Amino acid sequence: MTEHEEHFAHPNYWLVWAGLAVLTLVELGVAFLPWSRALVVFTLVVLAVWKALMVALYFMHLRFEKNRMRIFAIAPLPLAVIIVIAVMTEFVW
Amino acid sequence: MTSIAAASGHAHHAEAHERSFVRKYIFSTDHKIIGIQFLLMSLLFLFVGGLLAMLIRWQQGFPNEPVPGGGVLPETMAPGGILLPEFYNSLVTMHGTFMVFFAIMPLLVGVFGNYLIPLKIGAPDMAFPRLNMWSFWIAVPAGLLMLAGFFVEGGHAGAGWTSYAPLSAVAEYSGVSAGQKIWLLSIAILGLASILGATNYITTVVNLRAPGMTWFRLPLSIWALFITAILVLLAIPILSGAAIMLFFDQTIGTHFFDATGGGQPLLWQHLFWYFGHPEVYILILPAMGMVSDIVANGSRKPVFGYHSMVYAIIAIAFLGWIVWGHHMFQSGMNPTLGTGFMISTLLIAVPSAIKVFNWMGTMWEGNLRFHVPMLHAIAFVTMFVIGGLSGIFMASTPVDIYIHDTYFIVAHIHYVLFGGSLFAIFGAVTFWYPKMFGRLMNPFWGKVHWLLTFVFFNLTFFPMHSLGVYGHMRRIYDPTQYEFLRPLMGLNRFITVSALLLFAAQIIFVVNFIWGWFRGRKAGDNPWEDNGLEWTVPSPPAHGNFATVPTVHHGPYEFSAPGVSEDYLPQNHPPVRLGAGKEER
Amino acid sequence: MTHAAVMGAPADRELGAGVYNEKLGIWVFLGSEVMFFTALIGSYIILRFANPGAFALPGTVLNIPVTAINTFLLICSSVTMVKAFAAANMGDMAKMKRYLVATTLIGAAFVGVQAYEYTHLIHLGFLPSGIREGSELAELALAGELGLGSADPAVAGIYGSSFYTMTGFHGFHVTCGVVCMAYVTIKAYRGKYTQADHRGIEVVGLYWHFVDLVWIILFTIVYLV
Repeated sequence: MTEHEEHFAHPNYWLVWAGLAVLTLVELGVAFLPWSRALVVFTLVVLAVWKALMVALYFMHLRFEKNRMRIFAIAPLPLAVIIVIAVMTEFVW
Repeated sequence: MTSIAAASGHAHHAEAHERSFVRKYIFSTDHKIIGIQFLLMSLLFLFVGGLLAMLIRWQQGFPNEPVPGGGVLPETMAPGGILLPEFYNSLVTMHGTFMVFFAIMPLLVGVFGNYLIPLKIGAPDMAFPRLNMWSFWIAVPAGLLMLAGFFVEGGHAGAGWTSYAPLSAVAEYSGVSAGQKIWLLSIAILGLASILGATNYITTVVNLRAPGMTWFRLPLSIWALFITAILVLLAIPILSGAAIMLFFDQTIGTHFFDATGGGQPLLWQHLFWYFGHPEVYILILPAMGMVSDIVANGSRKPVFGYHSMVYAIIAIAFLGWIVWGHHMFQSGMNPTLGTGFMISTLLIAVPSAIKVFNWMGTMWEGNLRFHVPMLHAIAFVTMFVIGGLSGIFMASTPVDIYIHDTYFIVAHIHYVLFGGSLFAIFGAVTFWYPKMFGRLMNPFWGKVHWLLTFVFFNLTFFPMHSLGVYGHMRRIYDPTQYEFLRPLMGLNRFITVSALLLFAAQIIFVVNFIWGWFRGRKAGDNPWEDNGLEWTVPSPPAHGNFATVPTVHHGPYEFSAPGVSEDYLPQNHPPVRLGAGKEER
Repeated sequence: MTHAAVMGAPADRELGAGVYNEKLGIWVFLGSEVMFFTALIGSYIILRFANPGAFALPGTVLNIPVTAINTFLLICSSVTMVKAFAAANMGDMAKMKRYLVATTLIGAAFVGVQAYEYTHLIHLGFLPSGIREGSELAELALAGELGLGSADPAVAGIYGSSFYTMTGFHGFHVTCGVVCMAYVTIKAYRGKYTQADHRGIEVVGLYWHFVDLVWIILFTIVYLV
């Protein structure tokens, strides 16, 4: 009665937690660096996305799921991008 | 529900449980009962929407004359039976709202999604039967709330079913306060019901198909409902979010859509139509899917180009996300963005056209049976073509500059929603009625209803193309206030009379529906000699649907198949051997 | 029932997503949640892009240190959640229960800190309608301390609107999550979960991680940008 699904691989969650903690601290640092605004925002967004990916891939197990499952997670993302970019062009030119 | 339950044998479920009347028919978790509950609720709201339309048409045909029977309306709506302008605004708003959200959408998605999906894929019920029950019982208070809005101070919402800011956001502009808030709350509550339903449908179609029911053996009705559910899942939350922001603008003083507070009124339009365009595909795709099933049945032929029909549904759903701006060509949005939308909108005509040609190809040289569902399906195809053609005009931005917000648009909407969706609904209700209730509707009166509806529908809505091109704008209270519109009043009156006759003709359908329940000819398992799995079980099916899990061996449209004595072949029929020992597909 | 029979895809059905119904269902539902937050967060991004002067400099209105700690707390609760699931997977029900309790408590703490933050901000004069006239914050605005595009505090209308709507609905989702987490924890202590069948843990866990994920985005683009 100790059979496990092969895809229930468990990474080292504490390692992921440490990574997330470090990235959060880095973010706090970057936010107050004297860089140009565009660079600060870009870097912060990259860091945030990196953290979000770590949660999605490791805590939510997407790293180990079949592609068929991953489609459900990925499908809404292009739609989120489309509406924001499209409406932002209203204020560009 | 769970795989344990599924594995432990459906025979257990097929036996009648000793459930109370309340658990069996009121708070039922059986998808068939829930589907019928949605049917009764939606037909009621269809009637309400139609009634509102009659009031609208009265005002357009005979402006400022007392409505016959208008004495029952209160002073705040129609003193002396003459409709007030503010009340007229709420009439056009609520006609659209009830028809879109509480009639057509639940009829297509709530009724047929619920009823057909488990049966046609060979499942005992939905993946989450209790969640399904919640979907219905959350929709009901949403509907009641929307009705209640008529009776609050200031009247019901009057900013159109599209509820544009700032008219909808600022009470001083419209005089409506509580009504608009009720509208938003009702929509948000209904949205939750829809999202839960969509979750159920998607999970069910993905995970609960019977053995052998591969993706490309699914009937097109199920493909369409599945893709529609994905649209519902992803589009409705946009509306929910936008509605919440608008609600906050009205109640706690936020400024999302308020230019004076730094907000953007155009943001509402973008958000609304980002939802709104997928919404109109939600309102047509299930109809297309069911029409495919019915046309194949009535032609005794497989659907022409089954695979391209599937890809067309997917393409329409895909492209439907990037065309929303064609509702906003006149809004003052970025013109470059507008050009992009024009191109994508013209493109989306292609998969729709493919479907039309394939329906025609299905019927070509078929052994045609003009039963009532087939008549409605043919009406769907022809009326949808007209609605689609008017769409081409609107897709072109330069043309739309002229016809936007005129009756040309109203004509288009009604050709696709009535000429399209509603005819498909009449056909689908007639087709699956025997499975739902064990009896058939009367075919003669079904044909009479069809003919009268078809004629009066065209007499009502076709002239609106002319009205629109002439410059008659929509949502105006009194056309005669403009001198250039006065010559159109004859046409307006003609349309009004046709509309009244159209509404009256629906009595035949209502009587037929009720009569059939008690006195219709008993149906048997498969009155239409169709191939779907639902026709392999009794009418109506027992709780749990199938005594044993069916195994699917064939595609959904094996009509007039070679080597088969009947001109139909149910999907779970054992494989048929052809002469040389070859198996039937 | 064997672990595989329950925690795997329905056995007697055609090949689907390859996972059991409830897990597929929650992922599908989360798709709708992504779109819901897109409407709210997307609007914030658009409004800020259109009118950057309406938004104050980081740290001048919102409390970054406290919120950073709160963010860390939520991340911790995500770890305890997944550890609870892993424990159930491995058959260590006692560990699972302890981690579930931890997740519930930390989640509740997050909501508590958020609520406290709200009362503090409102006291300062930061409202959904913007900066309250005559408040402490209004004076800072007039003195140019907030980095707004104009000295007039009324310009910050959409700042308050978007902040409270986004974080408010996130907080609402966390609260629902805490309630579900408490329910699951109680169920766990009643022995309803086994190594063979702990679907409820995984389903609640996925929802919980999603809520954490949204906060990771929110903390960055609302507080730090």
